[in-house]
Amino acid sequence: MTPSSAEYHPSRPSTPAAAWSRLLPTSWIAVAAVLVSLFALLPLGFIIWVAIQTGWTSVAQLVFRPRVGELLVNTLSLVILVVPITALLSVALAWLTERSDLPGARFWSGLSVAPLAVPAFVHSYAWITLFPSMHGLFAGVLISVIAYFPFIYLPVAATLRRLDPALEDAAASLGNTPWRVFLRVVLPQLKLAVLGGALLVGLHLLAEYGLYVFIRFDTFTTAIVDQFQSTFNGPAANMLAGVLVVCCLVLLALEAMLRGGERYARVGSGAARTAVRTSLGRATVPCLALPLITASLALGVPFLTVGRWLVAGGAGVWNLDVISLALWQTLVLALGGALLTVAIAIPMAWLSIRRPGPLPRLLESCNYIVGSLPGVVIALALVTVTVRVAMPLYQTVATILAAYALMFLPRALVSLRASIAQAPVELEQAAGSLGRSPLRALWSTTVRLSAPGAAAGIALVGLGITNELTATQMLAPNGTRTLAMAFWAMSNELDYAAAAPYALIMVVMSLPLTWLLYVQSRRMAGR
Amino acid sequence: MKSTHFALTSAALLLALYASSALAQDAKGIVIYNAQHESLTNEWAEAFTKETGIKVTIRKGSDTEFGNQIVAEGKLSPADVFLTENSPAMALVDNAGLFAPVDADTLAQVPEEFRPANGHWTGIAARSTVFAYDKTKLTADKLPKSLLDLAGPSWKGRWAASPSGADFQAIVGALLELKGEAATVEWLKGMKANFTAYRGNSTAMKAVNAGEVDGAVIYHYYYYGDQAKTGENSKNVSLHLFKNQDPGAFVSISGGGVLASSKHPKEAQAFLKWITGKTGQGILRTGTSFEYAVGTGDESNPELTPLKDLQAPKVEASKLDSKKVSELMTAAGLL
Amino acid sequence: MSFLHLHGLRKAYGNVTAVDGIELAVAVGSRTAIVGPSGCGKTTLLRLIAGFEAPDAGSIVLYGTELAGNGDVVPAHRRGIGVVAQDGALFPHLSIADNIGFGMKRDEDARDERIADLAYVVGLDRGILKRRPHQLSGGQQQRVALARAMARKPRLMLLDEPFSALDTGLRASMRKAVAELLEQAGIATILVTHDQAEALSFADQVAVMRDGAFSQVGAPRDLYLRPKDRMIAEFLGDSIILPARISSGIAECAIGHIGADSTSPRDVARIMLRPEQVFLEPASRADVANTPPNVVFGEIIEAEFAGSVSTVALRVLNSLDPPDAAVIGNHPLILRRSFVDAPTVGAIVRISVHGKAHVFDGTA
Repeated sequence: MTPSSAEYHPSRPSTPAAAWSRLLPTSWIAVAAVLVSLFALLPLGFIIWVAIQTGWTSVAQLVFRPRVGELLVNTLSLVILVVPITALLSVALAWLTERSDLPGARFWSGLSVAPLAVPAFVHSYAWITLFPSMHGLFAGVLISVIAYFPFIYLPVAATLRRLDPALEDAAASLGNTPWRVFLRVVLPQLKLAVLGGALLVGLHLLAEYGLYVFIRFDTFTTAIVDQFQSTFNGPAANMLAGVLVVCCLVLLALEAMLRGGERYARVGSGAARTAVRTSLGRATVPCLALPLITASLALGVPFLTVGRWLVAGGAGVWNLDVISLALWQTLVLALGGALLTVAIAIPMAWLSIRRPGPLPRLLESCNYIVGSLPGVVIALALVTVTVRVAMPLYQTVATILAAYALMFLPRALVSLRASIAQAPVELEQAAGSLGRSPLRALWSTTVRLSAPGAAAGIALVGLGITNELTATQMLAPNGTRTLAMAFWAMSNELDYAAAAPYALIMVVMSLPLTWLLYVQSRRMAGR
Repeated sequence: MKSTHFALTSAALLLALYASSALAQDAKGIVIYNAQHESLTNEWAEAFTKETGIKVTIRKGSDTEFGNQIVAEGKLSPADVFLTENSPAMALVDNAGLFAPVDADTLAQVPEEFRPANGHWTGIAARSTVFAYDKTKLTADKLPKSLLDLAGPSWKGRWAASPSGADFQAIVGALLELKGEAATVEWLKGMKANFTAYRGNSTAMKAVNAGEVDGAVIYHYYYYGDQAKTGENSKNVSLHLFKNQDPGAFVSISGGGVLASSKHPKEAQAFLKWITGKTGQGILRTGTSFEYAVGTGDESNPELTPLKDLQAPKVEASKLDSKKVSELMTAAGLL
Repeated sequence: MSFLHLHGLRKAYGNVTAVDGIELAVAVGSRTAIVGPSGCGKTTLLRLIAGFEAPDAGSIVLYGTELAGNGDVVPAHRRGIGVVAQDGALFPHLSIADNIGFGMKRDEDARDERIADLAYVVGLDRGILKRRPHQLSGGQQQRVALARAMARKPRLMLLDEPFSALDTGLRASMRKAVAELLEQAGIATILVTHDQAEALSFADQVAVMRDGAFSQVGAPRDLYLRPKDRMIAEFLGDSIILPARISSGIAECAIGHIGADSTSPRDVARIMLRPEQVFLEPASRADVANTPPNVVFGEIIEAEFAGSVSTVALRVLNSLDPPDAAVIGNHPLILRRSFVDAPTVGAIVRISVHGKAHVFDGTA
C-alpha cells in the first residue's frame, strides 16, 4: 500500500476514485471475493463429495430408512408449526407496540427483542428445570416460538414504523374498514419482512441442537450430533447432514419463490408522516395480556429459573478461575471470529454495492446459502477436511474461526452492505476536491460512514459466536472451554446449579449486543 | 476501504495468533481425550499435576466419537492419552494399531480380568449395568428377571434408556457377544417398540424418578452420585441387579491407553500408572464418581454392592464390537 | 347550494391547537382552496373532513348527515369522500390497474372496463395499467391516485397538495386538467395548498388559513384585491401598503389621490395597492417643477434585471401631503415591471394608479 501515489505522478488524473482504482483495482477485490465464496462453498462441496464417495447404494441405505423419516417428520412438523405461530405472534406484537396506543409501547417493544439475548438452549434449560417432564413436539414448538419470535418481530416492527400511513388513509377513504385496510394494505407490505424473518427462524429451527436435546425432541441436527458422538465423521452423520442441507435449500428456495421480484419501496418523495396510533379503547387490557404473557414466558421463565439455580447454588457454583477462563476464551473467540468474518466480508460487500452485476450477485448468494447451513454441517465438513488433508490446521484456532466466518458471513454482509450503500463514491470525490489525498479521502468518507455497519456486523457475529455450541465443541482446540461448552457440560451432568452462572454470563454478554440490534433496527426505520 | 480491510485483517490475524496462545495447550503437558466423566478426570488430573508437575489438557467427548476420531487422526493425533467409560472404543483404537503397549508396572497394578490380554490398554475403573426402577410403582415380583424381558410386550412404553450414549451401546455390545447377532437384532426391535429414548443416563433416571417411566437401563453410579448430592433426582428410585450372568448384569470396563503417536510417552505412561495406582484408585473410593475401583487390592466405595457379588457375565472386553453395535442400532432406527 | 358545512371545528394535539373554530360552507360542484403557510393546520383540517381524525369539537355536515359532532364520528371508509394525497399514496404492492380498482367491488360489473375508462379520463395510457407504481413518473402517479379516488364516485374530493411534488411546468397543466375533470364529473373539491397562486387560480372560493383558523374566506378576486389585513394581503401577493386619509371615496396618500373602495371618511387609515395597479410614465426633472398639483413623480434608485420581470425601487419626489411622510421616505416603493419598459437608475417617472385602493379596516 503505497501512500497516495498521485502525489508522485501529478500528470495522472488524480480524482480519488481514479487513484483508488489504481491502488486496488476492482479485479483484486473481485478475486478476493471469489476466493471467499469458493471457501464458503467448501462445506457444500464436502457433502457432495462424501455422497459420491459413499456410493449410491450406501447413500440410499443411509437416507431412505425409517429413522430418517422420523427425523424428517419431527423437523418438518417443527418448521410447519413454529414458523406460522411466530409470524402471527410477531405481527400482533409489532402492531400493538408500533401502531396502537398500548400503554408502555416502547417498553414492550424492548421486551419483545430481549429474548434474543437468551441463548436458545438456555430457554430450554429454564423450561426443563421448571417442568422436568416437558418433552416432544409441543415443548419444542413452545420453546422455539418464544426463543425465536424476535427474528420476525424486529423486521416487522421496523417495517411497520416505516410504512407510509398515507396508504392506509387512502385505503380507508376508498371504503375499507380498518380490518380490511390491515389485510389489504398493511399486511402485503409486511410480506418481505415476515418472509425474511421466517426464513431466519426456519434456519434456526433446522440448526439448533441444545434446545431440542433438553426436551428430548430429535431433529436432524440432534441426530447428526448423536452420530458424530458415536462414529465421529462416519457416513451416516454425513448423509444426515446431506438431508439437512437439502432442507435448508428448500427453505431458501421457498422464501425466494414467495418473495418473488417484489419491491415495496415507498413511492413518492417527502417525509412520511408518523402514523396515528390506533386507540385500543376497551380492548387495552386484553391487548396488554399478549406482550405481558410473551415477556413472562420468554424472559420471566429464564430469569426466574437461572435466578433460582443461582440462589440454590450459592457461592459454591462461582468457581471464578474456571469461569473467568471460559469467559476469556469466549471473548477471544467471539472477537477474533467477528473481526475475521467482517474483514472477509468487506470485498464482497464493496463489490456488490460499487460494482453490482451478475458475478457479485452469484458470489453473494453462495455466501448466503452456506451461511444458512447449520453449524454442525460446517463443523463436520471442516473436521473431515482438516483431519484428512490439512492436518496442520486440525483443531486449531484458525479452523474454528474459519467455521465461524462461514456460519456468520451473511450477518456481516448484511450490515456492511447497508452502510457502504450509505457512502456514495461521490463523497470520496468531494473529499478529494476539498484537498484530501485519495487514502485520506477514503478514510474520511467511506470508511467513516461504513464503520457503524462494520461495528454492527462485529456485534452480530460476536453474538452468534458467544452462543454457538455444536461447531465449537467439534472444532475447538484442545483445552478450549467456552461459556456455552461449560454450560452444556454442566447441564448434561444435571448439575443445573453449576450451569447457572454460565447462563447468566452469556445473557449478560448478549444484552448489549441485542440492545445494539434493537437500536439499529429503530434507526433504520427512521430512514 | 483498503485501510479498514487491512486494519481489520491484521487485527484479526494478530488476534488469532494471540488466541492460539490463549487457547492452546501447554506444549510440555499431555493431552487427554477424555470420554470419562469430566468430574472424575478433573479430580485425577488435578491431583496428578499437583504431584508430578505435569500439565494436563482435557478434551471432552464421548467414547466412540473419540475412538473414531483417533482412528481418523491416525499418526498425527494430538492426543497422548485416551480414557473411556467403556471398552468398545478402546478396542476400536487398538484394532487400528494406534496404542503403545502399556508399561509393565502399570499392568501389574490391574488384575487380568480388567484388561485385554495384549496389554495395549488397561482398565481404569468399572461400572455395573442396573435396572433403575420407580420403587413407588414396582415391587420386587414385578421386576424383569432378565434384560431380555424388556423386549417383551408387557414392557411396552414402560422403560427408558439412552441409546445414543456409549454406555448403553456397550451393554448392547455385551448382549451381542453373549447372545449373538440374531438375538440382538430381535431384542433391539422389541426395544424400539417398547422404550422411550432419553439423552444421558442421568436424564433417564430422572424420568424414572419423575414417574414418566417405570424403569431405566443405566449404570449404577448415577444413582449413588445423585444420592450423595441432594437425591432430588433419585428419591423414588431403587436399583435392581439382574445378576445370574445375565447380559443385564454386564460390568463394563472403563479403559485407558497411551497413543503410539504420543510425543510425550513418558508423561502419558506416568499418568496411566498414576490413575491405576493407589492414589488414583483411591479417588474412586473416596470421590464422587462411585465407579468401581479395579486396581489390585483397591477397595471400591463401601456403599456399592461389591464387584464380586454382581454375578456379572464373563465378557472379553476387547471383543466388544462398537462398529457392529452402531450398525445394528442404526438399522433398528435407534440412532 | 351548499352541501358541506363545517361548524366550530376544533382539534388539538396535546397542548398544540391545530385547528380552532373553523366555519366553512362548500357549494355543490364547486372548488374551494384552503391556503396557508406550512403548519397552519390546513392538512389537519383536511384529515378531519376525510375522517382520518376526529374533531375535539364542532361538526361536519355533508348533505344533511352529520359526519362528526357530539362525539359521534362516521369513519373514513363510510364517508364516501375521495382523497388524493401529496405524493399519491399509491399501493406499492399492487399494479396500476389494481390501484385504480382498489375501492371498487371485486365482483363489480365490467370492472376492467371501468378501470380502463378511468385511466383514459385522467389521461393515462392503457399500457401502464399492468405496471407498478414505482415505474411511473410523479405526474402519472398523481393521475392514478385521482382515478383511484374517482372510481368511488365521491361527492367530494379532497386534494392534499397534490401538485407540489411536480415540476413547475407540469404543475400548472395538471392543475388545469384536474380542475376541468372534476368540474365535468360534478365533484366538489377542496384543495389544500401553501401556494397562493395555485389557490387563486384553482378555486371559486379561497380560505386563507393561519394558526388554525380562517383569516378570510371569499372569491379569489375579492381576496386578492380586498384582503382583510396586511398579512393576508402580503401572503396572497406583492402589495404596496401606504398610510392614507380617506374622504369622500378618495384616499389621499403619498403617491396621490386615489379612488378608494370605502367611502367612510377617516383621518388615519391604511390602504393597499397591488403593484400591478401602479403605472410609471417617463418624465423629466422639469416636469416635476412644472406640473399641476395632484401629480406625483418618482426617481428610480435601484433597478434589477431578472429576465422577463425586472424589479425597480423608486423614491417619491413630491409626495402630497402625506399623513406619515417618513414611511415613504424611508421605504422606497418596490415594483416589478416587464423588462420592456423598465426604467433605469436615475430616471424620473410619473406615477399613476389604475383602479381603486383597498382600505383596510381599522389601522391594520
